[in-house]
Amino acid sequence: MRRRDFVKAIVAVPVAARTMFGQQAAAPQSAATAALPPAAETAPTATHDKGFFDYKAHPIAASVPDGFATTQANFFNKQQMATLRKLCDVLLTPLNGYPGATQAGAPEFIDFLIGASPADRQHMYRAGLDRLNANAEKQFHVPFAQVDAVQADKLIRPWLRIWMPDHPPKERFASFINLAHQDIRTATMNSQAWSIAATATGERAPGIGLYWSPIDPDIQMYV
Amino acid sequence: MAEEKVDVLIIGSGHSGGMAAKVLTEKGISCLMLNAGPVVDFKKDRELKPVYELPYRGFNMPGRLPHVFQANEFNANIWVDEKEVPYTYTPQQSYNWVRVRLFGGRSLFWARQSFRLSDYEFKAKDHDGFGENWPINLADLAPYYSRVEAIFRVRGQADGLPQYPDGNFVVDDSPWSGSMQRFIAAGKKMNVPVCKARNAMGVDGLASSINLLLPDAFATGKLTAVPNVVVRQLTVDKNTGLADGALFVDRHSRREMSVKARVVILAAGCLESTRLLLNSGLENSKGVGLANSSGVLGHYLIDQVYGPGIVCSVPEARDGKATPGLMGGSALVPRFRNITTKSKNFIRGYALNVYSSTRPMDPRNFADYGESLQKKMDSYEGSGFSISMMGEVLAHYDHHVRIDKNVVDAWDIPVLHVDTKYTDNEFKMASDAVDASIAMAEEAGFEVLSKNYDPNPPGYSIHEQGTCRMGDNPKTSVLNKWNQSHDIKNLYVVDASSFVSGGWQNPTMTILALSMRASEHLAEQMQLRNI
Repeated sequence: MRRRDFVKAIVAVPVAARTMFGQQAAAPQSAATAALPPAAETAPTATHDKGFFDYKAHPIAASVPDGFATTQANFFNKQQMATLRKLCDVLLTPLNGYPGATQAGAPEFIDFLIGASPADRQHMYRAGLDRLNANAEKQFHVPFAQVDAVQADKLIRPWLRIWMPDHPPKERFASFINLAHQDIRTATMNSQAWSIAATATGERAPGIGLYWSPIDPDIQMYV
Repeated sequence: MAEEKVDVLIIGSGHSGGMAAKVLTEKGISCLMLNAGPVVDFKKDRELKPVYELPYRGFNMPGRLPHVFQANEFNANIWVDEKEVPYTYTPQQSYNWVRVRLFGGRSLFWARQSFRLSDYEFKAKDHDGFGENWPINLADLAPYYSRVEAIFRVRGQADGLPQYPDGNFVVDDSPWSGSMQRFIAAGKKMNVPVCKARNAMGVDGLASSINLLLPDAFATGKLTAVPNVVVRQLTVDKNTGLADGALFVDRHSRREMSVKARVVILAAGCLESTRLLLNSGLENSKGVGLANSSGVLGHYLIDQVYGPGIVCSVPEARDGKATPGLMGGSALVPRFRNITTKSKNFIRGYALNVYSSTRPMDPRNFADYGESLQKKMDSYEGSGFSISMMGEVLAHYDHHVRIDKNVVDAWDIPVLHVDTKYTDNEFKMASDAVDASIAMAEEAGFEVLSKNYDPNPPGYSIHEQGTCRMGDNPKTSVLNKWNQSHDIKNLYVVDASSFVSGGWQNPTMTILALSMRASEHLAEQMQLRNI
């Protein structure tokens, strides 16, 4: 930093700091003044409010926690979670510079998602993971979490179906395998890790969509 | 403040309400428009976001909007919350009621497919003996369709088919892609017409009430619009039996209010308008509700069958060989069943939406996973060709809505109970649509990857119609041919609840044309002091 800029900076800091604190921590009002309507804009105001009306927000580089934190899995039991982790490993492996389901935190995210889902979805997942594990024990005498790639293929492939949106397979276990496959792919491809990989491979604006905020939500919903 | 009587009270601000407001105010008639939801601020209320920033990674909040298959986490906030405004239905007969209460309603988000009904719909009973004819025909509505098409800038091509009436189009002379040419040739061999689709181009990316209709109404200075007010019921003058206003509640504060009006126009959407009438009237020998001496209010609920279809691949477009000349574009196969020949299994007919895609394939088209799946997806990318059905649903008296007195919405207004289902005719039609699609695709040399014969639940098309149908006979219909109540002459219902049959066509152009025609009739009657 050149000396001239440095001097400007140290002169500016206390002024900016005072202004910011002035906005955030307004002096407590007495009960009498609190009941009064706010003063008109043209009326003389305290100096700490000066310019607030025209204040243009400074950009804040917000982040999401997924880049540095892990979702705590607490819905599925230990065995179900181990089965889900293995299923994620098998169905979506790292490929062409993109993360696999495990690297994208998909098993933990799905634990969270299904834990927050309606009961029928929860039941489908729990029963499906239990049956997958039972099938592994029956066929190969090991838990699903310990099967090798060939064994996993024998357990999964017979249940894979071709299907169209909103019309998953009707058989219960096939429905679980195919819906879980879709969920695992979505949780992975919609993750921050996938987005970072997509950017690195030159894909433009990966996973960007037009998000609608709540529009004038009913205030009574919060009472 | 003393209550002032407004000339015309319009309830609802979508395509039908917007058109009524435009026509009436341009004729010098003052209108008050009430809308249940807020006004959208397109700058403030939406922004581009990466999906990983959304709370549920794009999955949507579990359990929210279970009947809105169109919802995702990006758009979840535009739909009516099913907990805030619930509805009930008969167990095992699920119904998807997909609603938007924002100012402008569903006109903000419609798919823009723009079709006229033909006399195969207006006079359907004449062709197969089922149901009732409309009290009007295409010739009655054609001049209004033309004016609506001009406002909405409908792009299309004249095809000269009686079941797919031509209109006042911005001419679509875009060339067909190679894959579409092959599909057209396959259609010719099978005597199935393949036409250009017809869509409203609108203006500035929007073809809604709020940019194409309401600005003209506001410009007259004759329109007052109030968002965020939920109409509870219509009121009636006990001496004259005429409608004289409405009771409504402020959406946020729950303040109860009333307004007086000389004329009331219902334009809240088929089922909301019907719900209002059902909630506004007393029980009589024929049933419940206002303007219901016929007893058919709430009955003959119809929509359209969506869901059945197929996904194919064009082999020559695989492995990176897809070119803009080969792939891309859309087409429409208008109804071809029961026009010149008679189908064995079903009456009426369906249309097919056809798309040639240059995008990646949906992984659900392959029963595979991992690296092997990815290889297939890479190979098939840009070769997709899909066909989906839009089928007519028959109007049955039993398929109806009624008030469920045990459940109320967030404003203590009793909700609707929907009792409807698809019948044999719809299922057989769906089966035929998929088989015909497969036959055409195979004739064109495409590989069929996936198919679905099962319709989505009733309501999914968002084309609900018919619960307040029009007719010449006051004993079998709620409205006359001008969308005017047989019972209460200063009450008009201008949304799709007036439909007698729905065909396969997106109903928007017909809703707009009917609302324009009804509003001009109303203006005339007001000038003649008949109302």
